[in-house]
Amino acid sequence: MPRAHVDPDRLRRELESLLGARRVSMRDGDLDTYARDMWPRLLLARRDGQLPEHRPHAVVWPETQRELVALVKLARSLAIPVIPYGGGSGVCGGVVPLRGGITIDLKRMQAIRSVSRDEMVVDVEAGLSGERFERELRRRGYTFGNFPSSIYCSTVGGWLATRAAGQLSTKYGKVEDRVAGLTVITGRGELIETDGPSRAVRGPNWTQLLVGSEGTLGIIAAARLRLSTAPQLEIFRGFEFDDVAAGTEAIRRVLQRGLRPAVVRLYDELDTFINSLGKKAATGDHAGAPITTGYGAPHDLSAAPVPMPGEGALPVLPRPEPPADDGVVSRLLAIARGRRRGLHKEAVGLALDHAKLVNRIAGTVARRGCRMVIGLEGARIRTEVEAALTFAELAHAGGRDTGEEAGWAWLAHRYAVSYRMSPTFRDGAFVDTMEVASTWERLMDLYHSVRDAISQHAVVMAHFSHAYAEGCSIYFTFAAHADDLAGSRRLYDTIWRDGLEAVTRVGGTISHHHGVGLLKGPYMAGEHREGMAVLHGLKQSLDPDNLMNPGKLGMAAAPTGVPRKEAS
Amino acid sequence: MNRDAFARELGVLVGDGNVQGVPVTAGEPPAWQVAPGSAAEVAEVVRRCNRDGVAVLPVGSGARPTRWKAVAERPRVHVAMRRMDHVVHLDETSLLVHVQAGLTGAGLEKVLVPRGLSLGDYPATMLGSTIGGMIAVRTPGKSSARHGFLEDAVLGVSAVLADGRSIHTRVAPRRATGPDLARALCGSEGTIGVITSVVLRIHLKAEARLLAAYVLPSFDAALAAAYLALREECQPAGLRVYDSAEARAHLGDELALAGPALDDDAALLLVATAGPTDLAVCDRDLVTSAVEAEGGAATDPRLADAWWKLRGGDPRQVPPPSLQVTATPSKLRAVYRAVRDAARDAGATARAHVSRFDAGGAVVFVTLVADGKPLDGARLDAVRATCEQAAGDAGGWLLGARPAQMDPYLAALRAELDPNGILNPGALS
Repeated sequence: MPRAHVDPDRLRRELESLLGARRVSMRDGDLDTYARDMWPRLLLARRDGQLPEHRPHAVVWPETQRELVALVKLARSLAIPVIPYGGGSGVCGGVVPLRGGITIDLKRMQAIRSVSRDEMVVDVEAGLSGERFERELRRRGYTFGNFPSSIYCSTVGGWLATRAAGQLSTKYGKVEDRVAGLTVITGRGELIETDGPSRAVRGPNWTQLLVGSEGTLGIIAAARLRLSTAPQLEIFRGFEFDDVAAGTEAIRRVLQRGLRPAVVRLYDELDTFINSLGKKAATGDHAGAPITTGYGAPHDLSAAPVPMPGEGALPVLPRPEPPADDGVVSRLLAIARGRRRGLHKEAVGLALDHAKLVNRIAGTVARRGCRMVIGLEGARIRTEVEAALTFAELAHAGGRDTGEEAGWAWLAHRYAVSYRMSPTFRDGAFVDTMEVASTWERLMDLYHSVRDAISQHAVVMAHFSHAYAEGCSIYFTFAAHADDLAGSRRLYDTIWRDGLEAVTRVGGTISHHHGVGLLKGPYMAGEHREGMAVLHGLKQSLDPDNLMNPGKLGMAAAPTGVPRKEAS
Repeated sequence: MNRDAFARELGVLVGDGNVQGVPVTAGEPPAWQVAPGSAAEVAEVVRRCNRDGVAVLPVGSGARPTRWKAVAERPRVHVAMRRMDHVVHLDETSLLVHVQAGLTGAGLEKVLVPRGLSLGDYPATMLGSTIGGMIAVRTPGKSSARHGFLEDAVLGVSAVLADGRSIHTRVAPRRATGPDLARALCGSEGTIGVITSVVLRIHLKAEARLLAAYVLPSFDAALAAAYLALREECQPAGLRVYDSAEARAHLGDELALAGPALDDDAALLLVATAGPTDLAVCDRDLVTSAVEAEGGAATDPRLADAWWKLRGGDPRQVPPPSLQVTATPSKLRAVYRAVRDAARDAGATARAHVSRFDAGGAVVFVTLVADGKPLDGARLDAVRATCEQAAGDAGGWLLGARPAQMDPYLAALRAELDPNGILNPGALS
């Protein structure tokens, strides 16, 4: 990838004249940090002590929209790229500066400018952390309703740039369903506002053409977002179904009757089985073993593992959504590693090297039904009525009520797992998640095809979450192991290739809410086909010089336009 | 360009019987109307037109006169979608329907209703339009408090680009694979591509439907009650607020039967709730509580029945509104008051109802009258202009508003996808 050429001294001088020396950095430490996000493929290299392949030329921390405009104009005049950067919690390599450039950290732009009770909207700057945003709204009696498990380390702007979803999306929708307008600095260096009641305005809906653009069309600087009244009532419950098909059918019936639980999650047989093992492990004779069992306090970040010097450990690994609710990955690995701590690294390797076998055995052992967690929240009266109708519908569809405890346990620990993936990487293995979606008609096809494709190479399990009247998303978690970095990367790429090709074959979408970044770029043509012409048209219109986060969303990194074949 | 040869070529592409000359005034370039029978034929026609720089203008049901502008200097082909009126696929499992662009909303309902399905609680008045037309042109009347803006029901769009390529946005409940490309076509008025088919969400027929009517002491109180209920998460299938004059004009007979005369200051709130019976009852009760909190009370339900019939296309004569203003929730009152005052200052009376509630706001429908009769002609134009000015100043959005800020970006997008500028050249510019 040709790195943009710029005289570093001149760049520093120009940037410092815009922002002052304190908000500009060209130090190695910062350039390394901003070279990546939480894409597991990059973390593999990191684990091996490799330096990032692509680093920005500079990192800056603007505080105003005027500074953002000036930065984009400067980048245009120097012909170097601009990469917007939020929390850095993305899992697809969306912020990797393929040609270098100026990485713009937006976290100093984090004001909540206004909350309107009449309109039920909030005007907020893009760099605000998700958790602080939601906390501020709750203090005023509202909720935005987006609760990704990355909420502690992702920003509002990052959510909008990737079309994020939170755990309660079944009621509140994904972020694109909640956005009323955007303030964007386009690649032309102009500030635009896409506000206004969309239905009253002629022409295409620009808000929806900018949401999910992952920084490739412009920088999302602020947004007007829809609010809901903070819930007055929360009702949670566990259910159990004979199998995945019965469980998904029940979800479909609930949604299509017009009922909107806040969350409904159905775990497949293997996931359910491993979870039950974990419970035994937690209360059983080897509770002291170093496997992840506990339910840390949900809002207590101190529960995250702290990397110890010399241990070769990764820092905490936040993810937009837990692979499962409470450390199932760790349990998966715990099975593999047995009880003997000293041997566990080898055991992990052994188990994951025979992924097919493990999948098959586990699949056979695991015929014990599927676990469901369902929760409703909202205004008191309506939520009560909806809950009664929902639980009755689930029972009617063959669900067995397993009581409130199962539901509340999920709620209490729903963020915990995000910070518990380091041990997996430390053990020489890797874990990743693939979140895909389809209409109900194709959902079982999607489930079986992707599961079969991945299980050739990795241990895989899945849960169904984010349900809609017309379909549902499936969240696959897979763990695998190879001997060295090259082997790990090869295996990693193969899993994704086979998985996503299976998705495209059955007519699903390759991403429900993690976004594209570098990871899924090569599969964008399969997803959109001729529609890519429209995406390229948008790019040409909003960013004619191809300087905004180049090489993402399956578009060319170089201005001359040789399509990128391989993720670097 | 050889006119006859071109017409013959069109005949080869879509069948001779489906090409007609369109009368033009002397000296104007020629125009034809073609009626392709498939997306492939649309693509052929567009590709052929692109080669000679002939303008392509999609026509929906053709029921409404289309005002072309800025295209008279070049030959043009009107692409009528009337033959493309099939349901391609009805997916009753996912509650989705894939329809060709030329099918009307009413035509679709004829297929859906016998199966216990429906497009949703959208206003019946819009159902006469073709699905392609409804999607291609964004106007505020296409909203429902329960199902939102019609455009949001679009899950996928197939369209032909200027160079004849066909795009099909993939159908999934939601995705995170870049911008929502279908939205480039929705509202594009045929300038980005010719929409050939659409995948739409549909709904199960509601298990129960309840109608209720309420009298409130003022228009403001009625709006306040509506928003109070909506904030308690009530999801009505229909919701309307009448001022007293408009209520008399629309529901006079029933009002006479219903007993107490409506004060001039009073307002009428009408609501339909639908869904599982318990939920429909719950939603109606939420409205009742909200109304009581605002000092109102339930009244004769026959008023609500009459409204629902009217909404469903009752043939009784209700004059079309003189103007429509969209406003966000906090601006509705101000817009209503501004229009009323402006009309009074111009020597007329404005009566109004508010309808099409959704998350973004609602639409104020205003009828201008003088001496008990709706205004028309030059007088109407003059008073309407004053009222529109007042409504805009009060923060309302007039029909057909367009943010000029995005014009250069739309122009660049069009230039990229349609370098010869053949797709509906006069629109959106």
